[in-house]
Amino acid sequence: MEEQVEMVGRAFADHYYNLFDHDRNALVSLYRPASMLTFEGQKILGVDEISAKLSQLSFDQCRHVISTIDSQPSAFAGGVVVVVSGSLQLHGEDHPLRFSQMFHLIPTEQGSYFVQNDIFRLNYC
Amino acid sequence: MALPNQQTVDYPSFKLVIVGDGGTGKTTFVKRHLTGEFEKKYEPTIGVEVHPLDFFTNCGKIRFYCWDTAGQEKFGGLRDGYYIHGQCAIIMFDVTARLTYKNVPTWHRDLCRVCENIPIVLCGNKVDVKNRQVKAKQVTFHRKKNLQYYEISAKSNYNFEKPFLYLARKLAGDPNLHFVESPALAPPEVQIDLAAQQQHEAELAAAASQPLPDDDDEAFD
Repeated sequence: MEEQVEMVGRAFADHYYNLFDHDRNALVSLYRPASMLTFEGQKILGVDEISAKLSQLSFDQCRHVISTIDSQPSAFAGGVVVVVSGSLQLHGEDHPLRFSQMFHLIPTEQGSYFVQNDIFRLNYC
Repeated sequence: MALPNQQTVDYPSFKLVIVGDGGTGKTTFVKRHLTGEFEKKYEPTIGVEVHPLDFFTNCGKIRFYCWDTAGQEKFGGLRDGYYIHGQCAIIMFDVTARLTYKNVPTWHRDLCRVCENIPIVLCGNKVDVKNRQVKAKQVTFHRKKNLQYYEISAKSNYNFEKPFLYLARKLAGDPNLHFVESPALAPPEVQIDLAAQQQHEAELAAAASQPLPDDDDEAFD
């Protein structure tokens, strides 16, 4: 069980950042109407608003490098909490930025997962 | 303010914070100053690159520790640690991207929340580009907030020294302070159409004598 949860977290994180770095608009498929995103303190509700926020970020190319992934089963049946830390290289910037991100994944009827909660922060003072 | 791992100097030095939307040319601007580029230091915990820019005045040397972000502004506002102890500031926008000028009031508010009463220069960058979206006479924010405004072109070095001279005069409390020697700058990458730019500067001067519009933002849409 423990291992299963870790596998889900890793597979999800790999998928999420691969989409983010190569086809950001496709991230829309991971959210639902009641999904929540807190992005650098800005609270955003619902798949449409979240999709708009992510696609309108004022940088084009970027590359996430994952440092750590930690996962736990959540109180929701089959749900998984995933916390990721890593760095993010923006095109045209000399230095990578560090980030942390938390996802709460909920199983779908089709046997996959969607993102109920997503909290993103850059790590700097 | 220098970083802990950065050399300090025995002549007056000041922390200069540069803010403005991503892509307006802040990094390009500070990188023009060559000795500053050699001595810059990056501090990953703050996510800032500090360029020490020296200028030579009739009263001696002055150094600006120019704080430049690693792109965090592309995600939202900056943290207080970036602004704190700032002694002077440059707010930059891109005259070829209207939104970057519309966001100037937000940058000004964020800056003034932490740094009260510091001298600030507003810079409209990329005036070398033919297709301007923000005309000189449409720039009125500085008049409402009592800032200095300069049109600059980082890539051609046009007006590079102007913001620093203004800030040096304010910080020294000497309106007659002047630079006696130019710092070494990277060679221009583009040429500016000086005749067209003189026209813009004339429009700017003419606009300065006109009454302020009631609300910039609405007039701008």
